[in-house]
Amino acid sequence: MALASRSARLALARLGRLGLGSCGAPRRGAYEWGVRSTRKPEPPPPDRVYEIPGLEPITYAGKMHFMPGLARPVFPPWDPDWTPPKFRRLPPLHEHPLYKDQACYVFHQRCRLLEGVKQALWLTKTKLIEGLPEKVLSLADDPRNHIENQDECVLNVIFHARLWHSTEDIPKRETYCPVIVDSLIQLCKSQILKHPSLARRICAQNNMLSTTWNRGFREGYPYPYPHTLYLLESANLRPHRFQPDQLRAKMILFAFGNALAQARLLYGNDTKVLEQPVVVQSVGTDGRVFQFLVLQLNTTDLASDEGVKNLVWIDSDQLLYEHFWCLPVVRRKAVVEPVGPTGFQPETFRKFLALYLHGAV
Amino acid sequence: MAAARCWRLVLRGSGLSLHTAAEAAVKAPEVTGPDVAAAPVARYPPVVASLTADSKAARQRRVERWQATVHAAKSVDEKLRILTKMQFMKYVVYPQTFALNADRWYQSFTKTVFLSGLPPPPPARPDTEPAPALDVVALRDAACDCLLQEHFFLRRKKRVPLYLEHEAITSPFLDQLVASLTGLLSARNPALANAALDCKRPVHFYWLRGEEIISHGHRKGRVDALRYQINDKPHNQIRISKQLPEFVPLDYSVPVEIPVMNCKPDKLPLFKRQYENTIFIGTKTADPHCYGHTQFHLLPDKLKRERLLKQNCADQIEVVFRANAIASLFAWTGAQAMYQGFWSEADVTRPFVSQGVITDGKYFSFFCYQLNTLALTAQADQNNPRKNICWGTQIHTWEGTLE
Repeated sequence: MALASRSARLALARLGRLGLGSCGAPRRGAYEWGVRSTRKPEPPPPDRVYEIPGLEPITYAGKMHFMPGLARPVFPPWDPDWTPPKFRRLPPLHEHPLYKDQACYVFHQRCRLLEGVKQALWLTKTKLIEGLPEKVLSLADDPRNHIENQDECVLNVIFHARLWHSTEDIPKRETYCPVIVDSLIQLCKSQILKHPSLARRICAQNNMLSTTWNRGFREGYPYPYPHTLYLLESANLRPHRFQPDQLRAKMILFAFGNALAQARLLYGNDTKVLEQPVVVQSVGTDGRVFQFLVLQLNTTDLASDEGVKNLVWIDSDQLLYEHFWCLPVVRRKAVVEPVGPTGFQPETFRKFLALYLHGAV
Repeated sequence: MAAARCWRLVLRGSGLSLHTAAEAAVKAPEVTGPDVAAAPVARYPPVVASLTADSKAARQRRVERWQATVHAAKSVDEKLRILTKMQFMKYVVYPQTFALNADRWYQSFTKTVFLSGLPPPPPARPDTEPAPALDVVALRDAACDCLLQEHFFLRRKKRVPLYLEHEAITSPFLDQLVASLTGLLSARNPALANAALDCKRPVHFYWLRGEEIISHGHRKGRVDALRYQINDKPHNQIRISKQLPEFVPLDYSVPVEIPVMNCKPDKLPLFKRQYENTIFIGTKTADPHCYGHTQFHLLPDKLKRERLLKQNCADQIEVVFRANAIASLFAWTGAQAMYQGFWSEADVTRPFVSQGVITDGKYFSFFCYQLNTLALTAQADQNNPRKNICWGTQIHTWEGTLE
């Protein structure tokens, strides 16, 4: 029925008596007599339910339809057992089954720590050491670990990522950032011939880690130890990317999360100082500037401020190249800057390779 | 007379002019000394067809002039630019297609012969020592690890629904498989250790084959070449800096005939569009890794086996794999050949060889392709006995189930 409410039906009947049709508009070719007034019609009398104490009301509930002489029944409120998801209301927070009294702060990929590295160090009870540990630096400087034509290969990788890999003239950061990291890892992997233990590694992309559940992967996984985390900042616009300080803070926290999950797996849930520290590495980049990080987890006792602290070695703001010209800069018909990178630093790739080979050499 | 000759020279400017031949003929006696009396010197310009007349000879001359600019181009980029700069309506060929019997159509478009099985192994050279035994167990373990990691071990943010399983699970599994197999096998093949691995990089190719009479429009009734473009996106590809050795010699004659289709490609169905003509192997011409090794393709959900069986197209399952292989590998090898400067009038002098693996996550098929000729246009194909060859295997599957 189009008009369900009684008041609307009455109004329509009144209009019909006036000579108007179904929509409230007059019949075709009809002149309306009567006074035109904008007075609203009186409201209909409310349906009252009369309660006389001591008397049982006889209602038309059993008859299943309205009966003029009988009382109006009062039905119990209807409780639907299923609501569509659109209309569902969440229960208040303290009635939720997983509610805990103590607040838990969740850190995810898009969290930017305002204080940066200082805040991350406090959160994870870590001491900062500038520069990478000597073991890794010795790996970087050792000429036996270098690939032949390393500089040439790295320059080719930069060209490929910044210029060659797509048909556009100037590829965007969202495409070239993952390409450069993948190509650098592929270049490092070419060292498999020298160090066969590198083949026992696998790469997992975009996986979820939850330290509160104490598990990164399920049990029985053949590669349970996290080695290096690669964090990419590949948004095209600068405000969407993390500042270097915030990126370093994020790297510390994610490396810490992985190490903590690993420690809980090995040593159980109780907080203590670990006899065998857990080491996790991390590399963060936006395609041009690299941040290297090695975190050593010595203790899971994070409640107290004293005692053994965790250690983190950070090498920040390593440029791989200063700028990359995709098109040659021509001033007065002379090529001032040729196509290619300016300010190339091979040292950065040596550190990258050292972090990759760490543990396998 | 001489003044008229100079005026025409000024007008023409650079490029082939009517009189360059005459000038060359005039200069020739100065170069060849004692043979002057033998060679007759032309005293008048050569009689050639007009350039601007509305005649077949004039059109031929204009076409030859354009082809001469391509031959004279100094760099490969310039050559490709001249070949692809004019845009006309062309057929867009999709390697992954649901069309029935698409592999026979694609064979006729690309002048390819399909042979079952793998190509003959290269003759063992006596001077090199035998290669170390293939560690099949280690490879199998690595493959199982990749499979289990993606399907079981990896924890994801949300449970992946069935319709997203393909892109969220099978796709990373193929990535990991390619990476780990490349790593393990680089001990046997040092070229693989220095190879470049591309993930989902586009591959484009543009070519001309056959002719048609234009049916309507202001050029109605005239003969026009049929143009094709493939825009492919292989899931992974491996590129190396040294070319793979050929499977069979360049002029190997295969007794199998190429299928000839008697109707227009529109019947496939194939549709025409006009947009940028691109030729791309995955990187630009300056990259040293310009030869292809292997491509890996993942078939989409739309072409999966269960769906084809439900549509009563059980015989099309093989066809889907074969059509994808022929189209993708032809495009890749053709683009590699064009990057080396070959085109339809300058045919390849050495065969270009690539391999391909087509899968839908569970069923694998292996293909090898040898490009022997790029001369597919009507003019270049008149006396061309060479054919491209594609070898392909049956569909193989994993043993056992995932638990």
